[in-house]
Formats: sequence, C-alpha cells, structure tokens
Amino acid sequence: MENSQFSRRNFLGKSALIGAAGVIGMNVLTSCSSKTKNVDYVFPPVLDKAPDGVKLRAGLVGCGNRGTGAALNFLSAGNGLELVALADVFEDKVWDCRSKLSKQRVEVPEKNCFWGFDSYKSLLDVDLDIVILATPPHFRPAYFDACVQAKKHVFMEKPVCVDPVGARQIIATSKKAENMGLTVITGTQRRHQRDYLETYRQVASGAIGEIVSAKAWWLQSHVWFRTREEGWSDMEYMIRNWNNFCWLCGDHILDTHVHNIDIINWFLGKNPVEAVGFGGRARRLTGDQYDFFSIDFNYGNGVFSHSMSRQIDDCANTLGEHIVGTNGYTNCKNTVYNLDGSEKWKYEYPKNKDGKSTEIVAVSPYVQEHISLVTSIRTNKPVVEAERTAISTLTAIMGRTAAYTGQLVTWEEMMGSTMKLGPEKYEMGPVSAEFPVPIPGTQHKT
Amino acid sequence: MFIAGGLSVILFLALSNKTIHYTSTNEFCASCHVHPHADVTWKLSAHHNTRSGVSVNCVDCHLPPQDQQFRFLTRKAYHGMHDFYVYMTKDSSEIDWTEKRSIDAAKRFVYEDGCKKCHTNLFPSTLNSLGAESHLKYIRNPENSSCLQCHLNVGHYRGKTGLTSAEELISGSKEIFTGPAVIEKFATFDEKIPGTSVSFKMVAIPGGEFKMGTPDDEAFRRGDEGPVIQVAVDSFWMGEIEVSWNEYLAFFNATSSQGRKEAVETDEETDGISGATPPWGAPDQGWGKGSRPAITMSHLGAVTYCRWLSSVTGKKYRLPTEAEWEYAARAGTNTPYFFEGSPNDYETLGFWRKLFGADTTVINSYVIYQENSGNRTRQPEIVWANQFGLKNMIGNVAEFCLDFYDPAVYSKYPKTVVRNPRGPRDGMERVVRGGAYNYSAKDLRVGRRGFTRTKDWLVTDPQIPKSIWWYSDCKNVGFRVICEYDKSEINSNQNIN
Repeated sequence: MENSQFSRRNFLGKSALIGAAGVIGMNVLTSCSSKTKNVDYVFPPVLDKAPDGVKLRAGLVGCGNRGTGAALNFLSAGNGLELVALADVFEDKVWDCRSKLSKQRVEVPEKNCFWGFDSYKSLLDVDLDIVILATPPHFRPAYFDACVQAKKHVFMEKPVCVDPVGARQIIATSKKAENMGLTVITGTQRRHQRDYLETYRQVASGAIGEIVSAKAWWLQSHVWFRTREEGWSDMEYMIRNWNNFCWLCGDHILDTHVHNIDIINWFLGKNPVEAVGFGGRARRLTGDQYDFFSIDFNYGNGVFSHSMSRQIDDCANTLGEHIVGTNGYTNCKNTVYNLDGSEKWKYEYPKNKDGKSTEIVAVSPYVQEHISLVTSIRTNKPVVEAERTAISTLTAIMGRTAAYTGQLVTWEEMMGSTMKLGPEKYEMGPVSAEFPVPIPGTQHKT
Repeated sequence: MFIAGGLSVILFLALSNKTIHYTSTNEFCASCHVHPHADVTWKLSAHHNTRSGVSVNCVDCHLPPQDQQFRFLTRKAYHGMHDFYVYMTKDSSEIDWTEKRSIDAAKRFVYEDGCKKCHTNLFPSTLNSLGAESHLKYIRNPENSSCLQCHLNVGHYRGKTGLTSAEELISGSKEIFTGPAVIEKFATFDEKIPGTSVSFKMVAIPGGEFKMGTPDDEAFRRGDEGPVIQVAVDSFWMGEIEVSWNEYLAFFNATSSQGRKEAVETDEETDGISGATPPWGAPDQGWGKGSRPAITMSHLGAVTYCRWLSSVTGKKYRLPTEAEWEYAARAGTNTPYFFEGSPNDYETLGFWRKLFGADTTVINSYVIYQENSGNRTRQPEIVWANQFGLKNMIGNVAEFCLDFYDPAVYSKYPKTVVRNPRGPRDGMERVVRGGAYNYSAKDLRVGRRGFTRTKDWLVTDPQIPKSIWWYSDCKNVGFRVICEYDKSEINSNQNIN
C-alpha cells in the first residue's frame, strides 16, 4: 500500500516537472518570435515504447503483406501484447500469414484462423481487445462498425473507405467509438512521425506566417498487379487484384496519395471546399483505375493546394508536401525555410556513432502509431482518429470524382452523395457489373 | 417584519413549486385533456412500454426541459392557456386529430430539447447505416432538421409504422426526355428537348395591339426610338427566360462540327443541322453555365439554334421580330419600364444621385443590371417576371431580334395599324433589344434599341477568317426564342388524336 502511494507521489512529481518544462519551452518560443500562436492540436504521446499494463490481445483482419506487417508493428510496440486470431477472405492468405508470423516466433492458435467473407465476424467472437483492419479499403466501413459494436479498440489502415457513403459511415461509427470510450488509430502514420509533428508545431505556432498555398504529390512507378489465373472467378480475380479496381481500392489518389492530402488538411486545419482536376490512364495494364491525377483543391479564402499522384515508370518520381506561408515555407517533414530559401529551422534527428545525423526518426512511425494505440488504451486516454482520416479520404474521393467526371465537385456534394461502389452481394463467383475506365465530359462530334 | 416577508416568499415559492409539479403530472394532463386516445396510444408507445421500465411523461416531450426554467414556465403558461381555451370553447369531435399528427403540427407542441435531454448519444453503437446517415445530417444542419422527421410516432403508438424514413438523399440521375412537349391548346407549356434532360418554359402571349416606340418626352430617349406607331401582333409563345447555357449546350453537343467552317452546311444524308464550331476559351467567361443566359454566340448561332430546336421538337421556333419583342416586353404597359418609376428616378448619373443614391428597390427586384449584377450574368431565378410572365426582358443580357436594323424604320411604316412588321428587307446589322447586366437604368428602357456590331465584336478573334459562330468581344448579348402559334395545326393535331 505504502509502496504504491509512494510511487504515485513519485509519478506526480515527475509529471509536474514535465509540465514545468513544457511551460518554459513555450516561453522560450514566445520570446523568440512575436508571431507565435497557441497550438490547438492534441499531440500523440511520442514514447519509445508503450507503458506496461494489462495484457492486450489483438486479432488481424486482412492477412496480406500490410496486415502481417501491421501485426508485427503492433507486437513490437510494448510488452504484454499478443496476436491471437487471423481472418481473411482467402484461406491461403491466412496460412501464409500464420507461417510468416511463426518465423517471427508468433504463434496464432489454429482454431482462431478464419476465412471467407464473414470471417471477421468469427474473429470478433474470439476473446480479444484490439482488431487490426488491413483489408482492401472497400470493406473498412462495415468491418469498423462491427468492431465498434463488439466494443473492440481498432487499428485500421488508410484509406478508410472508397466512396462518400462509406466516408459518412466511418464518421458515424467514429462518433460511436468516441461515445464508448474506445481508441481508434488509423494508418496515417505521418501524424505519429516525430519530425512531422515537430514541423507541425513550428508551422502552427506561426513559423511561416499565414498559409497561402500548398502542394502535395505522390509520384511513383507502377504498383503491383495480378493477371487473372485459370479457375479464378470474377470476384476472386478482383479481390486478388484489388489494388487495381476502384470499388476495392478507391484508386491510387486514395490508396497512397491520401497520406499527403491528410498532411495538407492537417497543416491547413480544414478540408477543401471544392475540387477541379483531371487524370487518365496511360500505362496501367489491369483493372479500371487511372494512373495519373492532377487536382486543384480549393481551401477557400484564396488558398489552393495542388495535388498530384501518378504510378508510371521512368518519370520524375518523388513524393512529399510543400506549404508556403507569408513568412516562409516548409516541406512539412523536417525543415522550415525563410522566403529567401535559407533554413530557418530543422528537425534534429538522432545521431549515429560518428556524430552524424541519421536523418530518420528514432522510432519507425509504423511502430509509433501502435505505441500510441497501446498507450492510449493502457493510460485510459481514448483517442479516435477515424473521423479525420475519413475526411482526408473523402477529400481524395472529391479529387477523384473531379477527375473522373471533369466537373467541379464540392464538399457539400460529397457530404450528400449517394455514391456507393461495388457489387450488392459479396460471394465468390461471376460478377455481372461492367468496370469501364471513367471518361470525363462528353464526346464531341466528328 | 423582514423575517415574515422572507418566510412568505419561501412559502410562495414552495407552493408554486408544488403547483408546477402538480400541474406537470400525467394525471393532471389527463384530467381535462379531451383526447383519451392520446393516453392510450402513449401507453402502447416505445416511450412507455419499454423493456427497462423507464416511462416518459407527457411534459417530457410536450414542454421544454424543466432546467430551462424561463422557457419552461412561459411555454407551460402558453400551452395551459391555449388548452384551457380550447377545452372551454371546443368539442373534442371538432378537432382535426389527424392534422395534429403531422410533422408540421407536431413541431408546435413537441420540444426537441426534450428529446435531446434524454437521448444524449446520437450515435449508439447499434445505430444502423440509415440512422447514422440521418443523424450525421442532423448534426451538420440542426436548424433545418428535426427529430420528428424520422421519429414522428415514437410518443404515441400508431400501429407498426417504423420510421417515417429520411430517404430524401440526392438522386443523381435526371429524367432524359424521349420526346418533345405535345401542345393541345394555346397555353404556357414546358418544352422538352428530346434525348436530353433539358426543359424550359414557353409562355403563351396572346396577340394584340400596342404603341411601339418611345414618346418624345421620355427621359433619355434616343433618335431611333420613334415616331410611335400603332402595331398589332399575332399570338405566340415566348421563352420565359433567355436561352440558357443548358439549352444552348444541348444544341452545341448535338450539332457541333469540327474545324472552323465559314458557311452553314446541311448534312443531306441525315437531314441534320451542322452547328457551331468549338469556341475558343470559356464562352461563359467563367461566370458559370446552367440556367444563366448563353452568351457570345453570333446572331447566326442563335438562328441556327432555332432551326435545330424546330427540327428536334417539330414546332416552329425562331427569334422574335422587333415588334414581337417590344410587345412582349411592354406586357400592356406604356411606360419607360414595365414597372413603376422613371429613368430619372433610377439613373445613378448626376451629382445628386451620386451623393444620395437612388431608391432602387423596385427595379432591383425585376432587373439584373449594373447596380446588382456584380458585372456578370446572373441566374434568372432571382428576379420577378413581367405581367406576361417573362423574366429579364430588359436585363441580364440584351437579346437578338430577327429584323435588320434601320434607325429610321418606324417612320417608314404606313401610318395605319401595322400588322406583324418584320423590319427592312435587308441590311448589315441585326436589331438587339433589352438591357444587360452592365447597363445603367437609362439604357434599360423598354423602347431603347440596339444592334449588332459585327466588326467590333470580333476584333480580338485571332483567326482568319474570323468565327461566324462566336463573338470574341461581346459578352452581354444572348437571345430568347419564340414559338409560332398556328391555330389550324393544333386543331388538326387534336383531330388525329
């Protein structure tokens, strides 16, 4: 008894010290710059490891490479973490994942391995605390709601949906989770990445002045695809090649570029009101998606963000974000520049043995997000990130719709849109729907 | 004394508290309320017959929450007086109970704050997707939403009704018309362009006689506006609004041709009409399309549009003659505008006007012009129509007429009543009538005349030859169609039918 009181007092003393340091830190900032503003943002705890506490058992839904990776990231977030169940649409994916995990000395009981379209329901019947959702994004809204109804904490990958109906479903389920005190972390890992967080802190406290424009881009070479194999039904082919079908993937402006869009929404503190843009398909071999987009997002008050995403080989391929303010600009990741191009501030990365900067953050952001998840649960400070990720995903959907249709698309239209992609029923077999590549506008006459 | 005063206040408060409490019980409500069925249906409802045994009382829904003390007391007093009055003066059978069960009626005596006092969580985990959509819509726009929209029957059982549904989500697809409107009599109708979702209103204008031209004493009158002549025109239909982008683009999409042709061609094989070549730049000036008037098309473009519209609807569409236009614009009036006021009142020129401004309430509600346009065309929905039901005859954009322009044409007509005058036999430029978004009040006068200036309107067109379809330098002219009325044709149609 006495012991625990003592340690509690100890803890209080420590946190008071940290608090004082925080205040001093802020004072130093304010004295440096007259334009310092208060930063209104809930920063995640940036710990190297989650605190010890109750044992937490997780189940993985979606046993592909990212799912398997996410599960291992979760397990390395702290002590007392277990992976106890696996579910996937395909049986072979489940056993593949199980054997990969087994090589990492993670043993998932055979009886807790499920497959089929309803396998996530069986997984929710297992005694577990956390569900990791890493299926193709199409299934996320329904699965997420089922998890919250089952009172589970959730880690879910981005994007969180593929259409406006799904986005609103995520927002609603997010509110349910908040009301129930659950924690939901999404795979927008830049928001858990220390260099991004510190750069955000700089920008939000006025380091570049008022934001006047932005740019975000994800330009890369072609991504994985599967050509159809004999014996695969329409449904099986599409799900195995999900990264190339819009109803499953949402197109790459969601799948990858949503990371950059999320940064812009985060730094600007809002979502755009409308979008105009274009895109097309020059090199893609399978599916119905585009392989390039260029979108002009209007954030109101004369502020625009140019979004580019492309998946074509041998092009000028880079990725990043860039935000310009009245007093400077930033790459959002680690550096703030003055308007003359000189460096104003740079994030200090850990140094290696030779005293040189490693240029990478101390803890991988993919692990850091799981440390946030476990910390939030064990310290009973619930965090729900689903709504903001749904808003960033819907931003990307607005851009995609602008490109697919050639029209100006507004946020209000998106919030009222009944667009719902995909077949009515999920079952392995033929799918009668057509999957044409979208063409904007109308054909003029010859 | 002081103590006694204090005590009496306390006593009064205690008593009134008791009174309020007593008069808020279900028994009290039922004691004189003339609707025993309300009591019965409440007992069967989801708000009384609950699994948990929690029961919701009359006042929980039918008065604001008691913690909003002032509102609670005033509404309680109001409903008390109202119910007492009705109880004394009306018989239960006189009251239309069905009407009282409608959403609009219910909003008068059901308090949403009461709903929200108990239902603090709009997103319980078991909420289904329709509920989630509806509650999201509610929290995004609480002023224009109401719990009752979906949950009308939760307080009183009305049989198994379920939710009164919120299935009013935006429907994406518009009806594509398969055929044009069929005319059976001379009356206003909605024309439909087959194969598109575009429709527009054609207003029936009964023929008649009128004085064409401007009297000598009208302020700001110009030399070409007289002498006043007596004119008679036959009946016709006229577009309620200037031809919109929706309408003009339907034509463009159906007939546009490649390259830049110098002459109108008719495709013999399909008997189709070869229409405009693509415009350069944004012909809408970036102001938006939709119901805004189409602009920058040439007079030839407008005429070709009418030919095309006639061919797809099987009717006789054309530009109005100058006389038809003025007859429709005057709509029986004889004044500078078809509404009250003189140009002197509305014109903002001159020292005093600049200083004090003009009272422009009336003109603002009828016309899109310099003072209210923001220097661009506007949607026609925002103005009132004239006496015939036509909008923006003298504003938004000026309009092409069929006639060639001759400044002295009025003096060349015979001095008797002129029937359906069509202007000079030939000429260089065409008549343009009506004011525009960038005109000031003096140039909005119904009698004012204008004309095309082909050369000036093509100055910056960089092509040689210059476009015959689009003006590069004229942004404030569009047009309006009329449909000819042929009594015999309509009658013969009826015979066939």
